[in-house]
Amino acid sequence: MESSPAADPSTSAPVHASLRESLLVFVVLGILVLFELGIVKMPGIARVPAMVALVALAVSKALLIGFFFMHLRSETRALKLTVLAPFLFPAVYALVLVGDAAWRMLR
Amino acid sequence: MSAHAATHDHHGPVAWPRDAQYGTATPGKIGMWIFLVSDAFSFAAFLIANGILRSGAAVWQQPGEPPLGINFTAGLTVLLVLTSLTNVIGYTAAVQGKKKQATWLLALTALGGLLFLVGQYQEWFGIWGPGLVHEGLVFGHSARASIFYVTTGFHGLHVLAGVVYMLAVTVGYLRGKAGPGQIELMSLFWCFVDFVWIFVFTFIYLFP
Repeated sequence: MESSPAADPSTSAPVHASLRESLLVFVVLGILVLFELGIVKMPGIARVPAMVALVALAVSKALLIGFFFMHLRSETRALKLTVLAPFLFPAVYALVLVGDAAWRMLR
Repeated sequence: MSAHAATHDHHGPVAWPRDAQYGTATPGKIGMWIFLVSDAFSFAAFLIANGILRSGAAVWQQPGEPPLGINFTAGLTVLLVLTSLTNVIGYTAAVQGKKKQATWLLALTALGGLLFLVGQYQEWFGIWGPGLVHEGLVFGHSARASIFYVTTGFHGLHVLAGVVYMLAVTVGYLRGKAGPGQIELMSLFWCFVDFVWIFVFTFIYLFP
């Protein structure tokens, strides 16, 4: 099933994903899950680097789903910003609030 | 958006004009995206609460509490990603007018969602083996248990809602009352369920 322009005007954007591309994204997502399991199960990895790697892998997977499966990559820059920019706020809240809790615990 | 340029037909689809900022995204699609972002904040709140509770706890996993089944949940993660794939291919088929193929793929996606829920039930209560409840992870007995059940339960409700939404749209599509536009909005919701699960899986299950 190759990509073709949307035939139905009720769809707002052309169909951008080909079957091959979607399958490739699925395979990459599966490999990233295996990486995550490897990080968790491999002995000797320090806690902080493991956490950083897991967050990086999670964000990578989320971006793949957002951009390819949710077709965000074919949207305008304004829509991309409308969707992605608000996610900076919970990221900042998480850093501040979780950091604060950890600091008070260690104090 | 210049609404006057929209060609309205009381019985047909709306051909939405190109907007300088949002391109050809329909108001329905922009509305769905805004809903999903606000819904994502609810999940963010649970995950931040998890982080605060965890970093403020001297002992996170209480004596007698079982570890979470990472391998089994990784399988559920791959299953959910697979349903996103069948969903995307189904949507593409609908746009291309391949009604039978689209219907089967959307039904398969809904079935995958139901299987995920069965997997979650097994994890919580047990079907072919003991569940976490029977192994000592009881809601209300510890912060770890409570945040686990609240967060995964909230996600499970989204999966259930997604399955119902998908079946409703698929039936509407079969009866000619829904088109690719409705399938596109439903697909956004379904992929969002997968999107947030990635973070739930990482922060609840995988974090050391």
